[in-house]
Amino acid sequence: MKKSVLVIGGGIAGIQAALDLADKGISVDVVEKLPSIGGRMAQLDKTFPTNDCSICILAPKMADCYAHPNINVMTYSEVKEISGSAGDFKVDVLKKARFVDEEKCTGCGDCFKVCPVSLPNEFDMDMRERPAIYMPFLQSVPRAATIDRAGVAPCSDKCPAGLSAQGYVALIRAEKFKEAVDLIRRTIPLPSVCGRICHHPCEDGCNRKDVDDPVAIAGLKAFVGDFVREQGKDTPAEIEEDRKEKVAVVGAGPAGLAAAYRLALKGFKVKIFEATSKPGGMLWWGIPDYRLPKDVLSAEVDYLLAHGIEIEYGKTVGKDLTLDDLRKDYDAVFLAIGAQRSLKLDVPGEDLKGVVHGVDFLHKVAAKEEVDIGKRVAVIGGGNAAMDAARTALRMGSDVTVIYRRTKNEMPAIAAEIKGAEDEGVKFEFLASPTKIEGKDGSITAIECIRMKLGEPDKSGRPRPVPVEGSEFTVEVDTVIPAVSQAPDLAALGSKDLAVTKWNTLEVNPDNLSTNVDGIFAGGDAVSGPASAVEAFAAGNKAARYIEKKLNGESIEPEPEEKDEHVITLEDIKARMKGEITKSERVMRQHLPDEKRRTTFDEVEKVFTKEEALKEAARCVSCGPCSQCEACAPACGPDAIDYNMKDQVVTLNPAAIIVATGFDVWDPSSASEYGYKKYPNVYTAMEYERMINAAGPTGGHIVRRSDGEHPKKLAFIQCVGSRNPQVGHPYCCAVCCMHATKEAMLAREHYDDINSTIFYKDMRACAKGFNEYVERAKSDYAVSYVNSDATVQENAQNRNPVVVFDVGGKQQSEEFDAVVLATTLVPRKETVDLAEKLGLKLTEFGFFESPDGILDFGRSEVPGVYLAGYCAGPADIPESVAQGSSAAAKAAEVLANSGGG
Amino acid sequence: MTDEANGEKKSPRIGVFICHCGSNIGGFVDVKAVTEYAATLPDVAYATDNLYTCAEDGLNNIKESIKEHNLDRVIVSSCTPRTHAPLFQRTCEAAGLNKYMFTFVNIREHCSWVHMKDRERATQKAKDLVRMGVARARFLEPQEETKIDVTQAALVVGGGVSGMTAALSLANMGFPVHLVEKDNELGGFVRNLHGLMNTKKSAGETIEPLIDKVNAQKNITQHLNSRVATVEGFIGNYDVTIGGDDAEPKEVKVGTIIVATGAVPLVPEGLFGYKEHPNVVTATEFEELCKKKDIPKLKNVAFIQCVGSRGQKVSYCSRICCNVAIKTAINIAENRDNMLGVTEEKPAEAGGQAVEEPAADMKAEEGTERRRRRRGRGRREGEDAVEEGAAPSSGVEITVFNRDVMAYGVEHELEFNKAREKRVKFIRYVPDNLPKVTMKDGNLEVGYFHETLKMERSMPVDMVILSTPLVSQPDASTLSQLLKVPLGQDGFFQEAHVKLRPVDFATDGVFVCGTCRGPADIAEAASQAAAAASRAAIPLANGFVQAEALTSRVDETKCTGCGTCVEVCPYGALRKNEEGISEVIAAACKGCGCCGATCPEGAITMTHYTDQQLLAEAKAALEEG
Repeated sequence: MKKSVLVIGGGIAGIQAALDLADKGISVDVVEKLPSIGGRMAQLDKTFPTNDCSICILAPKMADCYAHPNINVMTYSEVKEISGSAGDFKVDVLKKARFVDEEKCTGCGDCFKVCPVSLPNEFDMDMRERPAIYMPFLQSVPRAATIDRAGVAPCSDKCPAGLSAQGYVALIRAEKFKEAVDLIRRTIPLPSVCGRICHHPCEDGCNRKDVDDPVAIAGLKAFVGDFVREQGKDTPAEIEEDRKEKVAVVGAGPAGLAAAYRLALKGFKVKIFEATSKPGGMLWWGIPDYRLPKDVLSAEVDYLLAHGIEIEYGKTVGKDLTLDDLRKDYDAVFLAIGAQRSLKLDVPGEDLKGVVHGVDFLHKVAAKEEVDIGKRVAVIGGGNAAMDAARTALRMGSDVTVIYRRTKNEMPAIAAEIKGAEDEGVKFEFLASPTKIEGKDGSITAIECIRMKLGEPDKSGRPRPVPVEGSEFTVEVDTVIPAVSQAPDLAALGSKDLAVTKWNTLEVNPDNLSTNVDGIFAGGDAVSGPASAVEAFAAGNKAARYIEKKLNGESIEPEPEEKDEHVITLEDIKARMKGEITKSERVMRQHLPDEKRRTTFDEVEKVFTKEEALKEAARCVSCGPCSQCEACAPACGPDAIDYNMKDQVVTLNPAAIIVATGFDVWDPSSASEYGYKKYPNVYTAMEYERMINAAGPTGGHIVRRSDGEHPKKLAFIQCVGSRNPQVGHPYCCAVCCMHATKEAMLAREHYDDINSTIFYKDMRACAKGFNEYVERAKSDYAVSYVNSDATVQENAQNRNPVVVFDVGGKQQSEEFDAVVLATTLVPRKETVDLAEKLGLKLTEFGFFESPDGILDFGRSEVPGVYLAGYCAGPADIPESVAQGSSAAAKAAEVLANSGGG
Repeated sequence: MTDEANGEKKSPRIGVFICHCGSNIGGFVDVKAVTEYAATLPDVAYATDNLYTCAEDGLNNIKESIKEHNLDRVIVSSCTPRTHAPLFQRTCEAAGLNKYMFTFVNIREHCSWVHMKDRERATQKAKDLVRMGVARARFLEPQEETKIDVTQAALVVGGGVSGMTAALSLANMGFPVHLVEKDNELGGFVRNLHGLMNTKKSAGETIEPLIDKVNAQKNITQHLNSRVATVEGFIGNYDVTIGGDDAEPKEVKVGTIIVATGAVPLVPEGLFGYKEHPNVVTATEFEELCKKKDIPKLKNVAFIQCVGSRGQKVSYCSRICCNVAIKTAINIAENRDNMLGVTEEKPAEAGGQAVEEPAADMKAEEGTERRRRRRGRGRREGEDAVEEGAAPSSGVEITVFNRDVMAYGVEHELEFNKAREKRVKFIRYVPDNLPKVTMKDGNLEVGYFHETLKMERSMPVDMVILSTPLVSQPDASTLSQLLKVPLGQDGFFQEAHVKLRPVDFATDGVFVCGTCRGPADIAEAASQAAAAASRAAIPLANGFVQAEALTSRVDETKCTGCGTCVEVCPYGALRKNEEGISEVIAAACKGCGCCGATCPEGAITMTHYTDQQLLAEAKAALEEG
């Protein structure tokens, strides 16, 4: 078996090691954590002491490494597990899904333009933003995009219909309103409606809820639905193909409409049979105008119907035509008849005049029929229907009391509805259950209730209400509106063939919604019992999917529904943002004044204005961070994007392993004496390096964060955090003296009016040509060197950093336009984990240890494992390169002596 | 021209790819305009621009265009062939085009970077350069490269730590190695030393195991008391004569060569009282005294750093001397191995001395320390020393006069801290105000200007240790000429690229490591040695090298056998054949063109740089754009 070597880390040390081995004919696998090889060197602008352009000399090596026939580069990958020993290691490498086919992608960047997500660009030290689909830098190798998808946002995860809520919020933020609506419609056919009436579990999941308040996700949906429609941009979607098969949908409620729309898009001939005179089912008849204006519902339904859907009103299946007729005339039938039948209270007096059930009451009001309710109304129940009934009755001039057997906490109604009812003056009688409706002359006089107390939790998890004996009391009322529950009216369907559950709902296979009768599917409240609109949409979508399969002649065996994607937590986001999330107040929707609300059916909550919506959408913390809006795939010419890509584990069998994981830059914000992050014009050396790079965030211009001006007096402060035992870095980083000198020279090259001063402890310019370089900086580039420690204060007026230092034992201070801090270079965080997997020792400062650092630097204590570059201790580029070659030699020795190669 | 010779005169189809190089070119040159211009030039079948031609999409663009437009010549107009020509040549090859049908036009170094402030004229110049490139490209011809077999053995010159490490690594990979050492034993410069940095072991104890390994390694043939006498040949095929002091010259055949000849310390003639006053020694001499246990009784020791370096006799910093001084100072302070022999006699003196001598400069240093501590980033040595209530255990007062303490990295810096904890004083001087070593009343004294106190001071000393830089071996230039590899301005061997090819020479097949390349500590030298072994093993492992076709060619009908070319060739790549006519050893030829330029008969043509090509280019330069 051909032996290979594994190189962990694709920076310059790892690249050199890989090339040296591969050039000897040895197979090499390079595992790099980031989407591109190149490492830290790729971030540098120029390199000392020749001032060669860093990427210019590195890029050919990156390309060589990637194209080498003996090298297999695995980017966006991590070592998971290691076992075995020298000559025969077993290594599991996790190849994270990048959701882009590395071979097909050309790196053209078209997808970057359509991505609505903005994230800090790590390559540019967070000094500008990048989309969620990105390449770390222009010369990235491989030249392929990566979707930064760490998991699914909790909002999207919580949506019963599986709508990518983060997706449309992101699109709204990017002012891609039409795209947002298109995305919503892929799951929710009625965006404006859903945005108004949904109980929005998305918002319950929103990670911002633990920072301040959740993003108003539903409100944004209502906004964008309205906005696009009002702009006249809600043009019908394209029908995929023309299909001759016919589908009958029974019921124009949310489930029926969703299924009809999906199937129509596929090209099927769809006809809806609706028993009433209006579309929408409960949306029309059950939800009052002040929550959902009828014109909004009509408009959105009209949009759906415009996709070639036929609808016939006033056709009740079981009465006007039979199910058998439908089966005969249509290739498939979807039953979405809802749950319209009110359940009874089962208390004496329920047949008295003055008892009107919730659904019937709301239906009559919606139909503008005369409903006779008294001055004093009791509404029984704690669900949304009860709230709708109570608030409707209130608007009709009644004094309304809601009687509910548990407490407010257990009420199933949406919190906003309860609050709306309270604000409008609805009274609540909690922990009470009706026992009898009392009447006189056939009319109601009072309702007798019994006091309840909360007992053990029942099956729903809510505490079971238990009557308190002898606690009966009466409330004087004229009208009682029971709104406790509903059930489907299956009897009306008049079918003997369909299987029915013991709860009197239609029996289906829950995974594909097929009934026991071939070709008949069912979903929505008729199957689930009364539930939410969004669940009904989900059922309609699912039914459509399996009806399509059925009509395609495919198996309707349920597909396994994988939902194993990691749900992003607040901790994940904090880790990504490297800190806390800034608080920002939720934009509240304008309400009609409480006073006015009691007398009108006008919509209570105003939909966001565009400005409000943009402000609110900007609160989204981009959990995913990819929002899964799926805008990029259509933009991709070569069709390289694959949202279904999965993480892969590849097992390697290397004879030797070279570790070259590089370094991190220490964040100096904890060292307050330098004012980093406190004073805007204080930069880290790496930030400066990106800034001075032509491809960097400022296009190569040195600018002050405070005012965008280019600084004329620059100070460089050395040994920030290093040579300092107090912060745990007593060591010298070995590169910063030269780095600062180079940066000061480059400043002068860019602007001949910049003067730089370097504050240093010892100017350690001690390798080949370095002393000469420093002398050149002094003589040709006007760089001053001051031998002193230094700290930073600020002139608050002009935001100029003030450097405090001492010369000759005297404290002095000098104002500069900007300060650059040579921050400590530290081992990467993952070093600890990798050391554990490899059985390697770390030094007290966290670098990988070479037991014989004198004669055999880079040989770890584990046979067959070698070290190269900064992860083994401070080293500059040529040293890292030499160490890469050196590690390659050591690995090649193992191969020569392990019988492979 | 093949086409013309055949009389077919098929006109070339040239593709021109003009690179923005991000904003490196695009920011200063109107690349679109240059592209449009290129398209109008004769025989240009296709011209386009790329954001980064060297990126994968740029390369794919070249490959696809070669096929789509049936290109037979490719010009990339971008940066420098030094870094990018091989990449583009490989790309051409991948598309089935001979790599010599590619040519480079540099509009970055030669244009955008030097004319940043004049976009219009920079653009015009870029057009001129492209026009010249196109003119030359018309005459390009495909060339064949030859595979040359490689002798799978190596030569390592120098038997110090670097040479031994390199030899051992190559031998461990299975390659026979000839190790040449001029002395009668292995070990090199380290043999002179008593102690080493960052290890408790003595120098001898440290390198003995390495020498043992070399002795035990059967793949290594040692040539002691020997030097490289002659070197003939080229990568893969070197004939080397090894001359012994008292032995017959031996001929060996090797494929690659590693230079690891080390360095020597500068002898500080005329500096700081060296050879003028007693007890003024170099750091290396002090090591020898330590080895001999011949240290006089010491109360005050002064080190002077940068003796002769950093702008005095040599311009560079010798990298290791500060850390050597720190090591030695600690050893003295700790009286390691009873090296001083003094504390046993007078242990009582120890405490007294440090208390007695907190001179003003010490206080000033401590004052600085206190300020540093206040800021939470200070040096801790004063504090610790006070806590321990101790002066150096030896009772010796040690002062290191320095310009900057080059205790870079982890271990050196920790040692530096340790020295300060042991109350070793570090006093900074500036080159304008060097310390002075004098004799006063028969006693040695160091006078200096205290930079913090701004005043002249002096201190009596028993011994002055001068830290002198490493300088190149006196015979480095001989080897440089034998191997045809360069020395830098500092006299050390000059690597191919300071950043990315630290142990390669520009000449293929020859590599460099250790202090002959520049000052380095043992760990660095050993690391470079293993690196050089890795690099040198590549041709050996493959068993062949691909020779470039970029060589000179002799027209035998024109050659008169005058021999001028043989004489001027710096690579020994020309010789006279049996008929007295010159012939080229292709693998040795570097294509420098000396022979072609000097041949009085015009009998020598430079492949890929023919007169016809160059004249066409020159003519195009003079045309109006």
